[in-house]
Amino acid sequence: MEHPILFISIILEKLGLPVPHGPVGHTILEQLCAPYMTYTWLVMAFLFVVSKLTLGNLEMIPGKGQNFWEIVVGGMDEFFADNMGREMTDKFFPMIATFGIYIAVANLIGLIPGFMSPTASINTTLALTIIVWVTHHVIGFSTHGIGYYKHFIGPMWWLIPLMLPIELISNFARLLSLSIRLFGNIMAKETLLGILFMLAGAFFAPLPIMILGVLVSLVQAMVFVLLTVVYFGQAKEHAH
Amino acid sequence: MSDLKNEWIHLLANYGHVGFTFVAAIFIGLGGGILLDQKVFDGRTAPWFTFIGLAFGIAAGFKNLLDIVWRHQDKKK
Repeated sequence: MEHPILFISIILEKLGLPVPHGPVGHTILEQLCAPYMTYTWLVMAFLFVVSKLTLGNLEMIPGKGQNFWEIVVGGMDEFFADNMGREMTDKFFPMIATFGIYIAVANLIGLIPGFMSPTASINTTLALTIIVWVTHHVIGFSTHGIGYYKHFIGPMWWLIPLMLPIELISNFARLLSLSIRLFGNIMAKETLLGILFMLAGAFFAPLPIMILGVLVSLVQAMVFVLLTVVYFGQAKEHAH
Repeated sequence: MSDLKNEWIHLLANYGHVGFTFVAAIFIGLGGGILLDQKVFDGRTAPWFTFIGLAFGIAAGFKNLLDIVWRHQDKKK
């Protein structure tokens, strides 16, 4: 999918750096200059600078910025604790909350003309999903030891030949569905906005889709976080 | 966070996700079957592992669906 204008790519081209014209480049420098990479760095820089500016010096009586972050982080902390317990939340809160905030910002940035959502590329979402998927197995093995295999053999011993492939397939399906759902939703939003902008941009045709885009962006970030929390919780609990 | 909002988020995540999981399970089963047929056994067992894989994939899809429904019912009780 090609955007009409991506300002970081234009700046990089003016600087003489090779910007790939296909989805991925051939050389390493081209791959580093691909739009989803540069916009990922933009989102990371944005989050870093904003949190540094608003949380640089914590105060007893919070100002505007600190108040906002206290609501966001406090709400997420409470939500995680409800769903996977206090101990797990304290352990994994930094990782999951970072994913949540990063995905939300990365989704929303695509609504501004001249920007692109890094999550509209399967590479970004697959990377996030693989981290989550590997982590939930690590949690499972570190909690139950080798007995974690009991999660995959079903309720009765004579059902093992039937249940083992089914459980394995449904476990791998998590990897695929979690990444493709986020990627598909955001790419659909981006493509639709691009097409409407080209067709009737002068008549504000993309405006209704932009409103829906805000909703989709936040909902998809929330769904990703919730499913991560649910998977972690399931890996922790005993096999039934 | 209120209970109602929490419940809404759960419903949204689980039921918004189930369609994709279903399709992904079927494709992984089918892909595994084809891989077994063509690469491991060099096409000697040609259609059989594909069908078995497809059957397991569909079964896994339904198992995911039922898991979500049952988990939700357990929580209601």
